[in-house]
Amino acid sequence: MSLQPNAGSQGEYAGLLTISAYHQARGESNRIVCLIPQSAHGTNPASAAMAGMQVVVTKTDAKGNIDVADLRAKAEQHKDRLAALMVTYPSTHGVFEESIREICDIVHEHGGQVYMDGANMNAMVGLCRPGDIGADVCHLNLHKTFCIPHGGGGPGMGPIGVAKQLAPFLPGNPVVRTGGSQATGAVSAAPWGSASILPISMMYIDMMGGEGLTYATKIAILSANYVAARLEEHYPVLYKGANGRIAHECIVDPRALKASAGIEVEDITKRLMDYGFHAPTVSFPVAGTLMIEPTESEPKAELDRFCDALIAIREEVRAIEKGTMDREDNPLKHAPHTMHAVVSDAWAHAYSRELAAFPTEDTRQRKFWPSVGRVESAYGDRHLVCSCLPTDAYVEQ
Amino acid sequence: MTTTVRTAPLAGADPFVPRHVGPNETEVAEMLERLGYRSLDDLIDATIPAAIRLRRPLAIHSGRSEHEALETLRGIARKNRIFRSYLGYGYHDTLTPPVIQRNVLESPGWYTAYTPYQAEIAQGRLEALLNFQTMVMDLTGLEIANASLLDESTAAAEAMFLAYQVKGSDSRNVFFVDARCHPQTIDVVKTRAHARGIDVTTGDATSATFGDTTFGVLLQYPTTDGAVVDYRDVSTSAHDAGALVVAAADLMSLVLIAPPGEWGADVCVGNTQRFGVPLGYGGPHAAFFATKDEFKRMLPGRIIGVSRDSHGRPALRMALQTREQHIRREKATSNVCTAQVLLAVIASMYAVWHGPVGLTTIARRIHRRAATLAAGLEQLGHGISSDVYFDTLCVELGGTLTANLVIGAAAKAGINLRHAGERSVIVALDETVTDDDVQALLSVFAAGQPAPETTGLTDDLDDRFDASLRDGDAALSAHARVARPVADALDDSAGKLHDEAERDRRDDPGDVARVRTNSSVRAGGADAGISGAVRQPRVRAGRNYGLRRGVAAAERRVAG
Repeated sequence: MSLQPNAGSQGEYAGLLTISAYHQARGESNRIVCLIPQSAHGTNPASAAMAGMQVVVTKTDAKGNIDVADLRAKAEQHKDRLAALMVTYPSTHGVFEESIREICDIVHEHGGQVYMDGANMNAMVGLCRPGDIGADVCHLNLHKTFCIPHGGGGPGMGPIGVAKQLAPFLPGNPVVRTGGSQATGAVSAAPWGSASILPISMMYIDMMGGEGLTYATKIAILSANYVAARLEEHYPVLYKGANGRIAHECIVDPRALKASAGIEVEDITKRLMDYGFHAPTVSFPVAGTLMIEPTESEPKAELDRFCDALIAIREEVRAIEKGTMDREDNPLKHAPHTMHAVVSDAWAHAYSRELAAFPTEDTRQRKFWPSVGRVESAYGDRHLVCSCLPTDAYVEQ
Repeated sequence: MTTTVRTAPLAGADPFVPRHVGPNETEVAEMLERLGYRSLDDLIDATIPAAIRLRRPLAIHSGRSEHEALETLRGIARKNRIFRSYLGYGYHDTLTPPVIQRNVLESPGWYTAYTPYQAEIAQGRLEALLNFQTMVMDLTGLEIANASLLDESTAAAEAMFLAYQVKGSDSRNVFFVDARCHPQTIDVVKTRAHARGIDVTTGDATSATFGDTTFGVLLQYPTTDGAVVDYRDVSTSAHDAGALVVAAADLMSLVLIAPPGEWGADVCVGNTQRFGVPLGYGGPHAAFFATKDEFKRMLPGRIIGVSRDSHGRPALRMALQTREQHIRREKATSNVCTAQVLLAVIASMYAVWHGPVGLTTIARRIHRRAATLAAGLEQLGHGISSDVYFDTLCVELGGTLTANLVIGAAAKAGINLRHAGERSVIVALDETVTDDDVQALLSVFAAGQPAPETTGLTDDLDDRFDASLRDGDAALSAHARVARPVADALDDSAGKLHDEAERDRRDDPGDVARVRTNSSVRAGGADAGISGAVRQPRVRAGRNYGLRRGVAAAERRVAG
């Protein structure tokens, strides 16, 4: 393992550098092609480019799985130059692909190494292991799988584990000796990355124990499948595995609502705030959709409350579809509703204040008020200001 | 005869697993029923292909209680020998204001939140990050800054790619790195450059000639061995040669010395660790990245910007998101994703808490200790390699002393010093250094001779640093004296941060973020009692920027 990378993206870069160094040490410095499936996270191709590799994109089939035939063809085509495959497992679409072993074998047969993106490790801990599946490198997002709190967007850590043949090339440091016997250069300033947050992951593992960690993985998978089952009666759920099951996340697809009611995914995410929720991941891996990763740590009551909110929002959309609610003047288009907007004497919407701010019994008891109305992003990009404004900008007109 | 007593694995007094895992046994049964499975294992068998299943338990002991796990951790921690570090390399000990420790570092409202993609319920955090950017812009003298990167070395590598995007080509492919940059930064930059086919040349920038193959120059300010170098000529010759200038700067020193933006740097990077973030054996801490307005679309990482909401009022959100690698994929030059938000918030709150006057006092106190140490070292017959320094001294050892002898003597006194050469040692000070610490350092360097008393050294000190800027380099000092407009205001002179943060906030944890602010990070001269050598930015009256409510309870509910 190398603890040096400070984020998943840095783990990707460090892992690919290690692979490059391995090929070079074997006199195969021409191996620079990196296969990346279409469905990969944007950091994968960016990291490959940073590590000096040439990206070749492989196809994804209609079910969201890697197109094995296309992968085989591209591996064959680049067999003398193949350096690596970057693959996320379970896939970015939240599915345990059946063909993963075959995929890794194809890459190995053609002289490449397999980089496994560990972003979805939360679905694997204790149930299967990247090394057994065929990965030569895998990073772990400690802030995703091993309980380092998100911090509002950092600190995170992306340490990499590597197979034996790659160990000599793990990154070094010029001040403190670390890394492999033929270490590549440093990837971070500090020899062990963000050392002071590692005790958080250590404590988590120590307190969960092997059995507890495995149980958590099972519950993460159960929770995702439960949310998918509750929502699929109301929204299409994309991408499922062989038995109709998903891994630890599900993709809910509201794209059809644009034609039927003029509602887009952004309207749903903003309306969720009125219901007291922060939206799940938007537009990744599929534009215009929501990806929900409930994890193991939410009780059923909370999962139900969240599903109820999304279902209630679907009913609001149905009212628009039926024409009982206006296509423009509706609580989705004007979400989120601030306290100022709701108490204002100038309320002029076709729907009630109560529906705007207190759509459920739960919000009556535990209301969270968004502090501003919907933010116009394009306006800010056209008039870019990235420092504090003077006071008079906040004077109410 | 030995008797083996077998006991069932003792469930800890307070098992952690049911605290961490949300659904209880009844709920798990209900959820399985809804999905049509008899057991959890049936569901897992239907989900994960049989061929890849791990068919044995993890080789990890069974779970321990929090108390037991903490005892283990304490046991490991007890093996550490805690030395006083004067190693430098861009890392300096700091005093984390307890109000920030309690209400930011240890507050779930700040530490558990997700990336602020949903701006309407993240205004407090976005505002703290806007403060971070404002602080960085103000101290570096540049026009735009991002909301943090992972560390100074990777930020320097990102700056290299910005310079390449602006000036680089197949024939203009050389990045010049001054040899007095921090060694880890040189290594990270070289590694990144090598992978991308960029050539790195290291040398002395002050005497180098930049040819038409150089697209960028990286300078450490102050240098890794502590010298405050006047880089104006270097900057001019780099620009004349068609290259961009990148400064890797120490933020605390910038409170007192001319900001890189004023001497010609196109990009300034650095870390903010010494703004209240504990050393942490190397991390985490937030790095910063500032540049000129004309390069804003190439700025890596997340940028917070001001926009307006549907009611026409100012509202914050992440700006220019189309630059991110999600869109550009393999055409992206940066894969930066996760930032260091919590640490950036701490650094920005540190600046708010101390305000311009407090920061100036801290910086001057640090410098004064360095000057005291220098005076004592000179009395002992040692030399200081640079006349102009902030807090780091490169000591040229006198007599027959060698670096190894001094470092060995220091280690015996529980002090870490840095080897700089056979007969030179680097000492980097910080805001926690006391007169007693300086005395202890002098005893080490006295090598058995009587050490001068620090009390006797300060009388005629008259801030050698200020003096050197004033007299030793009149031009730099005159340049530094030019008033310039400052960005906005981060002053907590009314103690609002404390009031707000400490108050009972059952109803809205976002209140922790509310701060009223009044003047700029960098103080006005007279108020702060700074000599004429220190820049006197124009202080605008009446700034009053309230951090609004923001850290959303809702954000912590179901976020991806």
